[in-house]
Amino acid sequence: MTSAVTIPRHGGTGGRTAVAARARQVVKAYGAGETRVVALDHVDVDIARGQFTAIMGPSGSGKSTLMHCLAGLDTVTSGQIFLDETEITGLKDKKLTQLRRDRIGFIFQAFNLLPTLNAIENITLPMDIAGRKPDRAWLERVVETVGLAGRLKHRPNQLSGGQQQRVAVARALAARPEIIFGDEPTGNLDSRAGAEVLGFLRRSVDELGQTIVMVTHDPVAASYADRVLYLADGRIVDEMRQPTAEQVLDRMKDFDARGRTS
Amino acid sequence: MTVLRTSLRNFFAHKGRMALSAIAVLLSVAFVCGTLVFTDTMNTTFDKLFAATASDVTVTPGTAKSDDGNPQSGKPESIPASVLERARTVAGVKSAEGGVSSMNVTVVNGRNENMGSSTGAPTIAGNWTKNDLRSMEISQGHAPSGPAETMVDKDTADKHHLRLGDELRTIAVTGDFKARIVGIATFKVTNPGAAVVYFDTATAQRELLGATGRFTHLNITAAAGVSDEQLKGNVTRALAGTGSFKIQTQKEHADENRKSVGAFMNVIKYAMLGFAGIAFLVGIFLIINTFSMLVAQRTREIGLMRAIGSSRKQVNRSVLVEALLLGFFGSVLGVGAGVGIAVGLMKLMSSLGMDLSTRDLTVKATTPVAGVLLGVVVTVLAAYLPARRAGKVSPMAALRDAGTPADGKAGLVRGIIGLVLTAAGGLALYAAATVKKASDGSLVLGVGVVLTLVGFVVVGPLLAGGVVRAISVVLLRMFGPVGRMAERNALRNPRRTGATGAALMIGLALVACLSVVGSSMVASATDELDRSVGADFIVQGNQRVVPQAEKAIEATPGLAHVTRYKLLSAKLTSPDGKTEDSGVTAADPSYASDLRRTTTAGELSAAYGTDAMSVGSDYAKKHGVHVGDTLTVAFQEGRTAKLEVAAITNDNTSLDKGARYLSITTMEKYVPADRVPPNQIMFAKAKDGQEKQAYAALKKSLQPYPQYQVRDQTDYKKELRNQVGQLLNMVYGLLALAIIVAVLGVINTLALSVVERTREIGLMRAIGLSRRQLRRMIRLESVVIALFGALLGLGLGMGWGATAQKLLALEGLKVLEIPWGTIIGVFIGSAFVGLFAALIPAFRAGRMNVLNAIATE
Repeated sequence: MTSAVTIPRHGGTGGRTAVAARARQVVKAYGAGETRVVALDHVDVDIARGQFTAIMGPSGSGKSTLMHCLAGLDTVTSGQIFLDETEITGLKDKKLTQLRRDRIGFIFQAFNLLPTLNAIENITLPMDIAGRKPDRAWLERVVETVGLAGRLKHRPNQLSGGQQQRVAVARALAARPEIIFGDEPTGNLDSRAGAEVLGFLRRSVDELGQTIVMVTHDPVAASYADRVLYLADGRIVDEMRQPTAEQVLDRMKDFDARGRTS
Repeated sequence: MTVLRTSLRNFFAHKGRMALSAIAVLLSVAFVCGTLVFTDTMNTTFDKLFAATASDVTVTPGTAKSDDGNPQSGKPESIPASVLERARTVAGVKSAEGGVSSMNVTVVNGRNENMGSSTGAPTIAGNWTKNDLRSMEISQGHAPSGPAETMVDKDTADKHHLRLGDELRTIAVTGDFKARIVGIATFKVTNPGAAVVYFDTATAQRELLGATGRFTHLNITAAAGVSDEQLKGNVTRALAGTGSFKIQTQKEHADENRKSVGAFMNVIKYAMLGFAGIAFLVGIFLIINTFSMLVAQRTREIGLMRAIGSSRKQVNRSVLVEALLLGFFGSVLGVGAGVGIAVGLMKLMSSLGMDLSTRDLTVKATTPVAGVLLGVVVTVLAAYLPARRAGKVSPMAALRDAGTPADGKAGLVRGIIGLVLTAAGGLALYAAATVKKASDGSLVLGVGVVLTLVGFVVVGPLLAGGVVRAISVVLLRMFGPVGRMAERNALRNPRRTGATGAALMIGLALVACLSVVGSSMVASATDELDRSVGADFIVQGNQRVVPQAEKAIEATPGLAHVTRYKLLSAKLTSPDGKTEDSGVTAADPSYASDLRRTTTAGELSAAYGTDAMSVGSDYAKKHGVHVGDTLTVAFQEGRTAKLEVAAITNDNTSLDKGARYLSITTMEKYVPADRVPPNQIMFAKAKDGQEKQAYAALKKSLQPYPQYQVRDQTDYKKELRNQVGQLLNMVYGLLALAIIVAVLGVINTLALSVVERTREIGLMRAIGLSRRQLRRMIRLESVVIALFGALLGLGLGMGWGATAQKLLALEGLKVLEIPWGTIIGVFIGSAFVGLFAALIPAFRAGRMNVLNAIATE
């Protein structure tokens, strides 16, 4: 299985297509000749709108690269990537920046917040940069959802790791992006704080109709997703819907075993 | 050894981050070495010149000379020819010849253009002797012979396009005379700029001395095997009893000349070294910032070193060794650049008319040693505090999450120390502004300046918060979130912002202070001129006004009166028996209306009566002199007079303060006609309603005498303003070095901040900050830091300037004028400096790869 393309169907929010982002025959290679390393090998993928997608795979499988390419942070060697109907491959830095600002949200593993800005300033930063007024009602709802109402004036260094990540989630949600990308958003958190953050992500999909793509190597984290894509050696090798942590873990062990025997 | 190895590795790993510190060290060391090489080269040039021009033994008249090296009468002192004859017969003398030379001349060409140097070097007229062949050779034509022939030096000929056959007019106190150029002589050593004209001996005697059979000096050459000292002894014995002479060997003569030039060169040298010192001071801030940041960024690494067993001392030392390397490389390059600067200065002087040759380039062994030592010591001292902080890093730091390096907080202790220093400095300034005697106040002023400066530097990081916020409210908020982030970034490490701003503050404080003092000087002088000067025209120049020019002025139509003004050396004995060697001013009675002086007793006009005079109120007070008392005035070149004090002038002035006036008529009773000095300056008043015509006529009358300038009051004030302006520009030019180093400091801070905030920048770019916004953010941070420094500096400098004015008010600097144009200009200029400093850091931040930036630890 080298692709994870769903039959397009219409529906979801606002009459947009059911696919929030798609990759077509995406190749990402580093170096040339003998030293050429292929991180993504003709990947096709559709990210369903309003769903929580997890990307899993062993180290070096290309999962982070795929996410970076989908998010317009990295360029591809060949192939096409679309965000909704916009092809983002080939866009110039200026357009890409704008796209990230207006249509994409990010949650990184660590160092998500600007230390000089307090929580609420960090949350509204993408909109501030764009010069847009945040939607007050929505903002309140987001803040409510992630449970930060009491800590909005705190600076990042006055917040715990879990709280910081919740601020990052709130920031990603606040601008109502078409899609949120998370790069191991719970990787630095203990299991309780991690569960909290993942719970918020889940709720934002269920209650707010948000589309989320998350890279993780944690089966528990992946179990919060609607769908898990497995990457190995730059290809999509499997996918799973409505996973549980046990299923994910078994599948991972399976890959590990196969990887060792082959 | 491991310490050295680690230091070396760190040094080369971070060489980019040290580049700007190295440039700062380089510039300061280069300026120091450049100054030393330049002044040493000048000294060498003069040494060679003096050594080449002096004969084995020189005999000159023993009478005293006045300050400008010329006798009061304007005619050189001379020796009768009989002395020369006697000298020729002295044992050990191979040959002796009489020389005639005068520096109190002006030489003009047919178009009345001054052939003299514009740099203050003298014009020397004399007879052509064999001795001159030691330093010159005739390169064109022949030596002058006969009354209408002259020879000129090649540099002057080239500068003024003079050719054989051109006519030159020489203006001496004894009169004007013309001669055609028959020869051009070339200096064999470097002549820095004196214009030299030669005549034959008879002409020189007649025209320069107004007497035949006399010489200004004798050049005596020793016979083979006779040393200069022996010869000097023989000549001294032989001439004993024939008069008073100064007899010098070649070495003594050269030494004497060198001493007078050397004293002047030292003033230049120490002034320039002072400015280099300021640049060093500014550079220290830059180095401190760099090492603080390096240490902060390396906290984890240092913690690891400590964890695996490095001692505090070793960590400390490793940082200092890095500083040592930085200082060494910077200084070595600086020494090289210094020689370049010296050559550049020589070229600059050449273009201004002062000839210096790179053949004389003198790099003493001490110069590079001093440069490198200075650079290394300053760098290591500056790195001492950061190194100590590195030593204090706990081994636990290795285990802690690195995050961003700790944002330095300004401490309370620091604030208190800074405030105490500033307050003490403020008190000292207040004391300086309120002292009764100017001489008492200058030290207090100096203490106040230093204390407030140090206080501001110490308290700077605390001020940064308030000041940066205030600037941001006015300036940055309009830039929205980008402005807000710039403000926060500038505030996140107040210590760094404080140090960066302080570096700029120092230079700008001096600029502000000097501009306040300068414009107060102009305003005070203008005010004083308006109040007290009644003359319409003022004539002065770099040669005292010779009789023929005086006649030309007096013959000018449209003048109501012309005032002569002469300064004479004299000893004054007051009724209390005290004698002062202080001189008097002899002027025409019309001077009382040319310069209106208030009196504390008597009428000034009465002082111009026969055998009367006036004294200043300070002198009168000191010696208990009253109107009606008699003073004994012993003229240096005349008889002793007993003059009655008819008026006491108020010394509350800056023009002619303390002058003692008497009429020229009175003076002429006691001073022989040929000893009466030429006019120092002359004044004239136009007939009513003829001011314009009279001004034009005066200018026309003085056309043959280009060494004099006539100015009406408006032009005089303009000239005054120009002169102060030029002086200020020169000082600003020298301060530019310190300001350049400070700007490097701003660039340094931004560049290091950008490196330090790589991840943040990556994050912001990822969530949609455009390159343009990012660059703007960095530029705004830079502008805020620069304006912070400017605000502090200008405030401090204006305070200093105002205090200095209050202090100098006792010396006549009565009007405080703050040059708002300059101050505001500097402030706005600082904003542009900030923009400029941010160019490269902003560009580099913009180019950062987003993914790499996020991935950076």
